[in-house]
Amino acid sequence: MASFFEVENLTKRFGGLVAVDNVSFRIERDEIVGLIGPNGSGKTTLVRCIIGILSPTSGTVKFKGQDITRWRPWKVVQAGLAGTFQVVKPFRRLPVIANVMVGCLCPRVTRRGEWVKSTQIKARDALEFVGIMDRALEPASNLSHGDLKRLEVARAIATEPELLILDEPFGGLNPAETELVAKSMKRLHKGGRFGRLHSEGPAMLIIEHKLSELMKIVDKVIVLNYGKIIAYGTPEEIIRDPQVIEAYTGKEVPVA
Amino acid sequence: MLKRRLNDFRWGVLPVPGRLMAVIFFVFLFVFPLISDARYPLLIVTLACIYAIFAVSWDLLSGYTGQVNFGHALFFGVGAYGSALLYKYLGLPPWATIPLGALIAALAGVVTCLPALRLRGPYLSLLTLAFPLLLSQVARAFPEVTGGYIGIRGLPALAASPIGRYYVCLIVMIVSVLIMWKLTDAGSKNVRTGLIFHAIREDEITARATGINTIRYKILAFAIGGFFGGIAGGLFGHLLRTVGLGVFAISLSFQAIIWVVFGGIVSIYGPVIGVFVLYPLVELMQGTAIGEYRNLIMAVIVILILCFMPEGIAVRIRDKIERQCPRCKLSNAAWRRECRACSASLRHVADG
Repeated sequence: MASFFEVENLTKRFGGLVAVDNVSFRIERDEIVGLIGPNGSGKTTLVRCIIGILSPTSGTVKFKGQDITRWRPWKVVQAGLAGTFQVVKPFRRLPVIANVMVGCLCPRVTRRGEWVKSTQIKARDALEFVGIMDRALEPASNLSHGDLKRLEVARAIATEPELLILDEPFGGLNPAETELVAKSMKRLHKGGRFGRLHSEGPAMLIIEHKLSELMKIVDKVIVLNYGKIIAYGTPEEIIRDPQVIEAYTGKEVPVA
Repeated sequence: MLKRRLNDFRWGVLPVPGRLMAVIFFVFLFVFPLISDARYPLLIVTLACIYAIFAVSWDLLSGYTGQVNFGHALFFGVGAYGSALLYKYLGLPPWATIPLGALIAALAGVVTCLPALRLRGPYLSLLTLAFPLLLSQVARAFPEVTGGYIGIRGLPALAASPIGRYYVCLIVMIVSVLIMWKLTDAGSKNVRTGLIFHAIREDEITARATGINTIRYKILAFAIGGFFGGIAGGLFGHLLRTVGLGVFAISLSFQAIIWVVFGGIVSIYGPVIGVFVLYPLVELMQGTAIGEYRNLIMAVIVILILCFMPEGIAVRIRDKIERQCPRCKLSNAAWRRECRACSASLRHVADG
């Protein structure tokens, strides 16, 4: 049986630099998968290739049995795969709520007769979910970096994805906020309704540097280094993997 | 029905100075022929109506959607030549040629858009600059069809009398502006284009990653901008009863930008005010001693506006006389202390 989400031999070259090198992995429907790796290991590039912002040099991406490689970004979103950006890119001069409403306009979630009227309520619920409802009417440029990160998440979940790719959702958050967001990720993953916001209980791919938080919520971890997958397994296996430790802390040099 | 409208007027229009001024402005336009029915002032205001459609259509395309178009005269020209040729070869009356001409202009918008989809920012603007020049050359190259330098003459008039022509243009202007206003209204409950246009202008990549088919909506913006630009062109041709190469002029493209920037970009009402203030002003100067310097004076005004109120004069005035309630987002007169609907305090908004 074809798996829910599958990346096969994905490669992305920038000139001579191979940013993503022959990467293959799978995500099942009910999984939360972490993607970690040192800086410059190709995590963000990999995600950008998946959601269609970059076009991969070779390889395929399959989602729910469809080959979505090189699909336009909006088609990918409409198929049910939403991603957030590591470097936040909100619609700066629009109110926070309008940022999320754009996500609610995605044809995937606007049912007939529902249209724009209900999008506002749904956008509110999405903001409520990530916890920035009190700033809904301010322009997005007023928000702090941490709040913008949450806005990114709200924008993505407003499209009701089945696979949610989060690029450093904890970046710029303090420990308390981090825990809050991690908890809401868990809640989202369980699925259900949060007011008007419907959660499909999406599978997740989370890129993160804060390993301690990440390890608590993920089922599997993929470790990337120099564009290659160097380890794949449960969090417990990963933190003991010598290759991973080497990638993060460097090789042990025998002291003469 | 009437009672409801009356109530709307009493509670929705009277307490908001901006809306009240808009109503007064349109009432003034409607009774203008009573104030002055001399040919010249009437012609000026009629042309102002036409240019208002033109400027607003530029605002929709370049202000809202962010596809800054330096060749908006293309649509004006295609609309004008389109309706003129439809008359010349098919003998259609103005009420048919103008919308058909506008449809051709919308098509021209889509065609412009196709290469423009790959370009962004200044490169897009430079590309659009080239199109009216190109078509102007084409019109020059086929004098037996387009009349070359002389253009096409003897088009049927919009109406028999100047007052009739004035009202045709006025009503078309009001309807067009209303449609464009609705299409770009981000707070609209029924139309989604407003929000999407804003999103595309703010960040196209984010819009894409949020599931918006940006290509489709950019084409749509070009088509709508082209359509209404074409309506303005068609009206212009039938009003002056002649279409010449001047409709493709670069100065016309930039005139639209000047009007919009003067009145207030991304506001719809701004361009209307911009046209109705600047255009008659320039024409008034023409007969006087300072007439020779009118372009210079215009340039100075525009520079001053850009330096001191880049949001545009109409928007600046509206900000001064209106204030949004921080709670319910209703517009209030700036001198009110409490919101007229939810009685939230408006004091601290003034400070912030």
